[in-house]
Amino acid sequence: MQELRDLARQLLADETVDVVVGWEDSPRGARPIFAATPDDAGKLIFDTRCLHDLATYLNPRRKQVTDLGKLAIVVKGCDAKAVAGLLREAQLERDRVVLIGVRCGGVCEDSMAPEPVALTPETVAPRCFGCDNREPRLVDHLVGEAQPEPPGPLLSLDERVAALDALTPEQLWEYWTAQFDKCVRCYACRQVCPLCVCERCVADKSRPQWIETASHPRGNFSWNVTRALHLAGRCVGCGECERFCPSGIPLATINRKLQLVVEERYGYRVADDPELKAPIGDFRLDDQQEFIK
Amino acid sequence: MSEALYLTREALQELVAGLLAAGTAVIGPAHAGGPRIPGLEERERPTAKGIYGSLEYREVGDAAELVLGPGMPRLSLKQFFLPQSEDLFAWKQRGAEVAIRETPTTFNPRVVIGAKPCDAAALEVVDAVMNWEYRDELWNGRRAATTIFALACAVEDQHCFCPSVGAAPDTIRGADGLLTPVDGGFLVETVTDKGRAFVEAHRARFAAAPDGAAGQARAFRDAATAKVGENTRIDAARVQDWIENHFEDPFWATLGVRCNGCGACTMVCPTCHCFDIVDEEEGVGCGTRRRCWDTCQAGKFTLHASGHNPRADQIARYRQRINHKFAIYPVKFGDVLCTGCGRCVRTCQMGQNIGEILVAIDEHAQR
Repeated sequence: MQELRDLARQLLADETVDVVVGWEDSPRGARPIFAATPDDAGKLIFDTRCLHDLATYLNPRRKQVTDLGKLAIVVKGCDAKAVAGLLREAQLERDRVVLIGVRCGGVCEDSMAPEPVALTPETVAPRCFGCDNREPRLVDHLVGEAQPEPPGPLLSLDERVAALDALTPEQLWEYWTAQFDKCVRCYACRQVCPLCVCERCVADKSRPQWIETASHPRGNFSWNVTRALHLAGRCVGCGECERFCPSGIPLATINRKLQLVVEERYGYRVADDPELKAPIGDFRLDDQQEFIK
Repeated sequence: MSEALYLTREALQELVAGLLAAGTAVIGPAHAGGPRIPGLEERERPTAKGIYGSLEYREVGDAAELVLGPGMPRLSLKQFFLPQSEDLFAWKQRGAEVAIRETPTTFNPRVVIGAKPCDAAALEVVDAVMNWEYRDELWNGRRAATTIFALACAVEDQHCFCPSVGAAPDTIRGADGLLTPVDGGFLVETVTDKGRAFVEAHRARFAAAPDGAAGQARAFRDAATAKVGENTRIDAARVQDWIENHFEDPFWATLGVRCNGCGACTMVCPTCHCFDIVDEEEGVGCGTRRRCWDTCQAGKFTLHASGHNPRADQIARYRQRINHKFAIYPVKFGDVLCTGCGRCVRTCQMGQNIGEILVAIDEHAQR
């Protein structure tokens, strides 16, 4: 922690950056802080409640953050994958941001806990299971000590996917109808997504109205399916969409399923390497294309 | 309030069965339905949103489904008066002829049992705007058709702050009657003619309050008042005054920067009532005009056709949310547009905390 605070103070003092985006403790658990002074830098924390994907603040949609000047941002391995996604898609210039990587031993599911949460199968975030990036590579500084591997969760994302894969199409339809029925169309899933970068989302276009605004089943399916497909092969699996959903829709299950499909079909596995080409922006002669008829 | 009557759990069961048999819908806090998928149940794990669990307000088919105790439904009661989306009318055009099918504005009777007092109070707060320059027929129709029994609240957690905004864990605002839990059932007090008529119509289900019940109810309510008294306390009038005079204060810039602009806070809010009206075509020359929840936290909310946006960033949008609730609405309608339920605080995963913000404003106001 001290290492992180000292580094942040240094970056602010020598005017390398104007603001360090990290986490602080609050009456509502851990939350993002935009540290602009040495005092603020002293508030920085990193513990198991720091599950926010701060890379979302690098998203060009966030004018109020771009206006702050040059940023340093604290990233876990999963967040670094999101930064790589933004670089890969030319949404961010590498020299605009200083990346402070933290060695991560997994996070819990509850950012709002009053104290750091010990990781157990009950508390660990499912996305941390099998994490291949606990020491982010795409960084300018790496802080913290090496962390032990987190415990496996009660129910991993792959197990969630498997439970649904076992259903008949009718049962699946019933399940997702009930889930999407809860959607209030706040678009929290989109707003928090580090990779939802469209300046004007298709859901906000009204001439023509591609996606109906009303939260009837047709509108809710249009929105949720479009969101999912637009993130296929781009989603880094940070799980923020699911965490922010005020209605509790299991969006990470959808994203994981699509990750698995993309991996199987295109051999693509999301990583914090901006040079790695994503299937959505790449064409290879040996791409599977039997579905084109 | 009327003299309190007693409703046992068994009598409540009979009351609800009778209402349902007579075609009256019964709405209350209950666990969400939906299919259970083998192997997926473990997903429901306690988190900060835990006080919601799978609790929601919904129509029940049996009194046993009602969860009449601690716990707060994820969404407020407003969805039953201002649905997430509702039809206003449908049209069909053939040549120069346009046929309009109006949406009925009268509704079947409904009874809400176990409304959180803050959620019931919110309806009365919003009544003012729904009957301001235009009397909203759909809102008023649903209000008229609904009898609401609130359930005195034991206070959920540290984010409840109803007394700061003129409510209380046992407020009767917006309700037709109030239930207070006592041994074996509830003490029932009626507040409005509608509430009294309801009890009169089902008089056989209610008994005289047993000895000691009144004292028990008082103790329950006093304990709740004391508990919530330890939470956020502000002077709403002082906060209003500061906001009105500090539109350009640098304080606002410190709030909006963290905000996602997702509007989840407005969706879960019992008093946020802004809506968008859309025409959804459903074929050639036909379609439905619908009213849907909207949010001041979205850029599109104030985007002009010219491309200009008077609230250009999240800082301006977040200021608007606070401003509307704690200054604009009180000036116009004499009520704070907030009943202190704390849902926005519990919902915001970025840690935006309205209690903390109000305290900060109140401190600014006292400098």
